[in-house]
Amino acid sequence: MTGPVLSVDDLHISDPRSGTELVRGVSFDVPAGGALGIVGESGSGKTLTCRTALGILPAPLRVTRGTVTLLGEDTAGLTERGWRELRGREIGAVFQDPGAFLNPSLRIGSQVAEVLRVGKRLGRRAAKAEALRLLDAVHLRDPERVYRQYPHELSGGMLQRVVIAAAIALDPQVLIADEATTALDVTVQAEILDLLADLQERTGLALVVVSHDLAVVAQLCTEVVVLRRGEVVERGATDAVLHAPQHPYTRLLVDEHNRYGLDRYLAPELEHAG
Amino acid sequence: MPAEPPLLQVTDLDVRYGRTTALAGAALTVHRGETVGVIGETGSGKSTLARAVVGLVAPAAGTVTIAGEEVTAFSRRQWRAFRRRGVAQYVFQDPLRSLDPHLPVGASIAEPLLLQGRSRADADAAVRAVLTRVHLTADLADRYPAELSGGQRQRVAVARALVTDPQLVVLDEPVSALDAANRVRVLEVLTELREAGTALVFISHDLGSVAGISDRVTVLHRGAVVETAPTRAIVTAPQHPYTRLLVGSAPTLTTGAVDRETRAELRRQLLTVG
Amino acid sequence: MFRAVLRLPTGRVAVTVLGGVLLLALLGPALAPHDPIEGTDAALAAPSAERWLGTDYLGRDVLSRILAGAPASVFGAVLVAVIALVVGAVPGLLSVYLGRWFEWATLRLVDTLIALPFLVFAVAVTALLGNGIVQAMATVGVLVSPVFYRVSRAAALGVSRSQYVEAAVLAGASTGWIVRRHVVAQVLPPVAIALANTMAAGFVVVSSLTFLGIGVQQPAPTWGGVLASDLGYLAFRPYAPLIPTVLIMLTVWAFNLLADAFRDTEGAAGRAPVKEASTR
Repeated sequence: MTGPVLSVDDLHISDPRSGTELVRGVSFDVPAGGALGIVGESGSGKTLTCRTALGILPAPLRVTRGTVTLLGEDTAGLTERGWRELRGREIGAVFQDPGAFLNPSLRIGSQVAEVLRVGKRLGRRAAKAEALRLLDAVHLRDPERVYRQYPHELSGGMLQRVVIAAAIALDPQVLIADEATTALDVTVQAEILDLLADLQERTGLALVVVSHDLAVVAQLCTEVVVLRRGEVVERGATDAVLHAPQHPYTRLLVDEHNRYGLDRYLAPELEHAG
Repeated sequence: MPAEPPLLQVTDLDVRYGRTTALAGAALTVHRGETVGVIGETGSGKSTLARAVVGLVAPAAGTVTIAGEEVTAFSRRQWRAFRRRGVAQYVFQDPLRSLDPHLPVGASIAEPLLLQGRSRADADAAVRAVLTRVHLTADLADRYPAELSGGQRQRVAVARALVTDPQLVVLDEPVSALDAANRVRVLEVLTELREAGTALVFISHDLGSVAGISDRVTVLHRGAVVETAPTRAIVTAPQHPYTRLLVGSAPTLTTGAVDRETRAELRRQLLTVG
Repeated sequence: MFRAVLRLPTGRVAVTVLGGVLLLALLGPALAPHDPIEGTDAALAAPSAERWLGTDYLGRDVLSRILAGAPASVFGAVLVAVIALVVGAVPGLLSVYLGRWFEWATLRLVDTLIALPFLVFAVAVTALLGNGIVQAMATVGVLVSPVFYRVSRAAALGVSRSQYVEAAVLAGASTGWIVRRHVVAQVLPPVAIALANTMAAGFVVVSSLTFLGIGVQQPAPTWGGVLASDLGYLAFRPYAPLIPTVLIMLTVWAFNLLADAFRDTEGAAGRAPVKEASTR
């Protein structure tokens, strides 16, 4: 494929009730098989931007300007039915709370298999075999056992793997991970980030990693966009942004890691920078 | 090592909740003016350790000694007298829940002083002084917790701990709920406190958030201390496999010393050991 | 909290009406133009210039009976609420702090009280302890006290597990200090609501009991009694029940309005601080 798999151009999102613009002129491209990081805190517009790319912008909010292009196709005119065709097949997503996306009263296996039966029109047996393959692909030990378990029997990290398995079930080109590791322990977060890097390498899945933590994004992404109060305040190659941040906000994020984080010990040349 | 006895000495501490063992044989030493990070993930027993130190949890075995006094042998009356002296203070993770919503924050900060029998005027003056110490304006004393931002509330919680001029302050996840700007502000306040000679204990799930201002780090895993060492040694030459995984999992700006394959190998090791 | 109640229109109406009722209770007997107990020959007389509300079947002046009956009716309701408050809220608050045994004992006692049928118990106790307003009101007060026990215990329990109480413990606060400084502010609003509700309910109960002739020796006047005495003679004086009924309804309505006002202010004080609410 040539050209970006996901392209957001000059996106503006407004709240018609108050007339405020929540997102102002956000643009970025995600190349096929690439990894883009979006850094921002709550209120930065990162989640609204992601939801627009998935066609699930919450009710009164509206895109007032700009375009979102998925696999070369403008999504502006898409109906709900059209979005349903795209979601899962071209673009998938995982969010902070994996529990919210699973039905607590159904077994894990049947929920993953359902995605395959509906989306790929697989038969019962083929869907189960494929679901087991997916659970294995997201590095769940003993997929057979997980297949039979209920959501409440799994830890947060395991649930997030299940949600990732369901998100990649229909072989999308892009996966958005919006604060997907925020609620997890650090070692579990690293497991999920490693899994995402693995999937990107093995299947050519393009990633959009959204996080409040610059370091999380730095682990996976070659390009980074920093959002603040609905605007892009900094963008560029990750290395360049980390070494020479331009905007005061980005400098604050880099500075925090260098002064208070592990980087203080890992990168001696930066130790006295703060 | 100085000949002076440590300010806080925890020896062979066991804590049980019913049949489950939360802590087994935990040890922790904090010298005067020293800053120690206690790092552990969900179920590591780190919060239990902190609560046992300040007497909110009664240990099943072992001793806690603060400033030469064996607090684990205290009666209720002795605890109350000891707490009123304000030698050791504790800062809760969530300042919104640890401040009385019906009282102006100044009244909450003044409470330890009023319990010492100091006059209201005396306490008011001390409140004003301590608010400036945590970089807040004195007029904030008349506001209610709901009127403050998350970062301001956390600094109010720190101010309440500082108002008795403690020698030791135990902080449970002091920055994990804050945004970047407020994290940095709180960490700056804590750095000044450390420079002023107050001993600090940081309880955190994330080594990366407090490594920069900790002299030493104690790592807890499944209710037991697995490693204690100076922070630089923990970060650059961790010994225990769990510490290596924890350090290797913490997101950093620079590519860490630990790669994906090593992490996967460490996880396998820990599975077979634990 | 009380100032916040007065800021609400409903609160102001409730307080005005209840103030009037209280004045009636305090000054009523003195204002009575005739003897409320001694009858005359002019039974079932229609309202006239001299007897504004006419006379009842024994020839007693109705206006005088209503005015003289105000204290028994109003203070009866207040007595019910105060007894319920003392018997219910105090143990409810202490059940959180006085240890397991006290907690267990009071909880069982409250369960027992709730299981007792209301009016039957009141009638039985009056039969045992004699027929008097204080006995009757004490009985009713004890019977409604579980509401206060529950409400104050629930509020105190919630606070006692809060982190700000833990923070006070860590500062060396005693139980008494914690109750005074942190718990009372939390317990007061729900107890105030229960108090206003109980006064309303208590007023209905007092009126019902006196209507049935329980709790007050005849011929002592009460509003319930005035209502009852003329019911047999509706053919002669069909308008007779109107005045006592309106008085009872108005008072009960005002108490309920006050309870609503308390509830509204509590919602505002619980979330946003009082100070902020005042600037809006």
